[in-house]
Formats: sequence, structure tokens, C-alpha cells
Amino acid sequence: MAGELSAAAVGPVVAVRGARRNATAWLLLGPSCLALVLLFVVPIAYVLVLSVSDPRLSLAHYQRIFTVPLYTRVMVNTFVTSLIVTALCLVIGYPIAYVMARRSGWLPTALLTIVAMSFWTGFLVRTYAWLVILGNRGPVAAAYGALGLGPAPQLLFNTFASTLGMTHILLPYMILALYATMRKIDASHLRAAASLGARPGAAFREVFLPLSLPGVVNGCLLVFVSCLGFFVTPVLLGAPRDMMISQLINQQIEELLAFGFASAVAVVLLVATGAVLAIYNRYAGLDRLWG
Amino acid sequence: MPALVLAVLGALFLLAPILVVVPMSFSTAISFAFPPPGYWLGYYAKYFTSEEWLEPTLNSFVIALGAMVLTMLLVVPAAFGYVRYRFRGKPLVNLLIMAPLVVPHVVSALAYYGFLGRVRLAGTLLGVMIAHAMLAVPVAFLVISATLKGFDQNLEKAAMSSGAGPLRTFIYVTVPVLRPGMLVGALFAFLSSFNEAVVAIFIGGRSAVTLPKKMYESIRLESDPVIAVVSTLLVSGVVLGVLISMFLRRRSAHVA
Repeated sequence: MAGELSAAAVGPVVAVRGARRNATAWLLLGPSCLALVLLFVVPIAYVLVLSVSDPRLSLAHYQRIFTVPLYTRVMVNTFVTSLIVTALCLVIGYPIAYVMARRSGWLPTALLTIVAMSFWTGFLVRTYAWLVILGNRGPVAAAYGALGLGPAPQLLFNTFASTLGMTHILLPYMILALYATMRKIDASHLRAAASLGARPGAAFREVFLPLSLPGVVNGCLLVFVSCLGFFVTPVLLGAPRDMMISQLINQQIEELLAFGFASAVAVVLLVATGAVLAIYNRYAGLDRLWG
Repeated sequence: MPALVLAVLGALFLLAPILVVVPMSFSTAISFAFPPPGYWLGYYAKYFTSEEWLEPTLNSFVIALGAMVLTMLLVVPAAFGYVRYRFRGKPLVNLLIMAPLVVPHVVSALAYYGFLGRVRLAGTLLGVMIAHAMLAVPVAFLVISATLKGFDQNLEKAAMSSGAGPLRTFIYVTVPVLRPGMLVGALFAFLSSFNEAVVAIFIGGRSAVTLPKKMYESIRLESDPVIAVVSTLLVSGVVLGVLISMFLRRRSAHVA
């Protein structure tokens, strides 16, 4: 748009140069765009097609998803679990990001290192760790025995375990999103509040907290969206009874070979994710999420 | 002060579960008992001698290296084109490049399951490599385009006005300044593939099993204690990777 305007204003010489620059840009971007269209967009489009054409042309799969109680429960369960995990990540992550952004010395560096380590440790390793910790021969069960509380309750293979596991795995995303916003907050704002007589608590509430809200929104969005499509952890730690969307997709193709129905569920997940991101884009602009 | 206490507790919550895998790897227990009843190196020996675990490890390295090279070949020119030029349809291009990050992995996994079956690449290393390369494109693009945005183009102008041609300028000025950022981008692409589980689980089949897929199946079907050894080795690798990337970032921060 801007290119067109300047070309019209300055004249044909610039327009020719602009066209050549345009060609160079496309030469550089062409291969990756082509690859993404052929090797990403086409496969996704194929899912869309399958969802209304396998085994025959109809919208029956979608109708089933939204009318059969078993499937509507999966949708609601996924949504509620994602909300809970997001809230937990925010509550646990905010103080960590706050200390990382506001303190000086070795502690912020140590925290950042721990967050980065956790971020890059694969989902499988961390899920396995929770299997050990919550297992009936694990430390929690042992603590129950040592304290004379009798046999520990069943901690694994339920909503509690999968919620805990997902919170642990997604927490680094929340912290990094919060930290990215918080470290840009100018410390002089807080000093100004203090010099005007605000106590530390008030300065935090009235100045720091509002300025950190964009980070809160970013972090919550990232965690919520990742949680909607989470697969490995709910399968290994959760109960089949409280299925999440991605488990339903896997079950449909693994056990029932129902590609059409699995595709329709995937499309619903894709649309739900897209809707959340579109709302965000409307108010903040997606670029800021990846800032 | 309360923030400090909460932060330390939170950090402990992040760190402790990861560290649990280390003593587990030396445990003599045949199942997941913690604290371990005794210590030995038997499961290390088992890991390093069993085809069943070494093959997925090798597959993971081959796939991640291949995906990294493919990703960099696509992303480096794309980042130059995107950051340095204005052109029509830029928002659309941005959306296309970011799409693999936005689409839930389980949806991509299902998509590749159908697509790779159609083009006869299901259950092949090449198939997983291609899928992982696409998923790594946005990750590497974010890192490299950020590096490019921070690059002071006056350095290139200075080289040109001192008589260097565009090629010499590119080789002697542009590349050295951007190298740390490129390396971080490549490392991220490698790790994004190496850690990726969902797509690998769906499309790996019997013959292109990656390490995360093997771990997933091992937990699900047999709870083989060797998984603790693998986890410990992976955590050690991550510690090394984090240190390297911090070092590189510090260097790139100095140059820019």
C-alpha cells in the first residue's frame, strides 16, 4: 500500500525500481512460500476436505460433534481444562517473571536459566518425571506412608495429574511472555510513584500491574491455545474418561480408523484456535504476540 | 519479599521434577520407584547396547539435522526478503510463514498422516524431516528476522562506499555480523524437531521412530526403566544447549 502511494507521488522512475525490488523480494520469499503452500497448507486443506467427504459428502460428522453428549463433553472438558491450566500458569508464573524483571544480581539470571532449561526439555521427559512423582511408588506416596497417613490416594491417570503436568509444561511459555513485557517497564515510573508517596504495594497495583497487562494477555493466550490442542500429557497422565480434543482425534484414527470424523474434530479445534487468535488480532495485532 | 518467596517456590516447581529423572537413571528398580532402592549403571549399559533405543536416537539426530538444513535454506533468504523489502501482500506472507506455529500440532499431525500417506512418504525419515522442517520455519524465522531487524545497514553502506562490491560486502560484513543470530536460529530449528512428539507419533509408523515417539510408546506399553537414562541424557543435552545459546546471544548482543 505504502509502495503504491509513493510510486504514484514520485513518478515512473521510482515505480520501475519498486517493481525490481518487488521481484527481488519474491525471489527471496518464493521458495519458502511455495514450500509452505505445498507441504503445509495443502495437507491442512486435505483435512478440511476429508471432514466433509469421508466416507461420503455430508456435514454429518459436524452434526455428531455438536449433538452427541460424549463429544460435546470432550469439547467442554478441553475448554475448561485449558482455562484452569492458563489460570494456574498465570498465578505461578507472575511472581517468577516479576522477580526476573525487577531484581538485579544473580537471581534473575538463575531464574532465566531454569526457565530456559525447562522450556527446552522435551514434553516426554517432563511427562515421565510426573509419572514417577505421582506414581504409587513415588515420593508423594512415600511421604504419605512416612507421615502415617495411610495409603496415598490414586494420583495418576485423572484430571488432576494431567492438569498438573500441562501446567508444568506450559509454565515457561507464560513466564517468557510476561518477562518480555515486564522488562520493558521503565523503573522510573515506579520511583515516581514512590516519590509521590505511594507505598510499594500501591505502586505495584497502580503502576506496575497495569503496565504488565499486555504480557498477561499474551501469556494467557499462548498457554490457552497450546492447551486446547495438547496431546502427549493428557494421554499419558489423564483419564480416558476425561478426554481432551486431541485424544479424541487420536482415538478415532488409531482405534476406529474414522478419518472423516477425526478430520472434522480437527477442523473444530483449528477453528476454535483460529477464533481465539482472531479476537486477539482484532484488539492487539498478532505481531505483538511474537514481538 | 513475598514475590521473592513465591518466585523461588515456582522455580523449584519448574526444576525439581526435571531433576528427579537423574537419580532414576541410576536406579536398580524395574519400575518407576522413587526414591530408588539401589544404584547401578545397568540401564545405561542397556541403553548403549540396545538397537531398540539406539535406532530411534540416531533417527532423531538425522531427522533434526535434515530438518534444520531444510529450514535454514528456506528461512534465511525469506527473512532477508521479508525484513528488507516492502511489497504487496506482506501480511499474507507473514500469516503463511507463521501458520505452522498457529495451527495446533495435533491438527498438523493428522494432516501429515493423510498427506504423507498419499505421496507415499508415510513412515519414512524423509517424511518426518519434511514435516518437522515446516513446523520449524516460523521458529527460525522469528529468531533470524529479529536479528536482521537489529542489523545496522549503515555497515553495508560503509563497506560499499569504501569500494567493496555487493558480494564482498555480503561475505565480509553482513554474514559475520549476523552469524550468531543465524546459529541461534539453526539451534532452535534443530531442537524444535528433536523435541517434537505429536507429529512424529502420528506419522513415524514402524520404521521412522524418533526418540520422543519411542519414549511415548515405552511409557504407554511397557514402562521400560531405560527411559530414565534417555531422559537424563536429554536433560544434560538441554543444559549444554542453554549454555551455548546464552553464550551466542551474549556475543550477538555485543556485536549489535
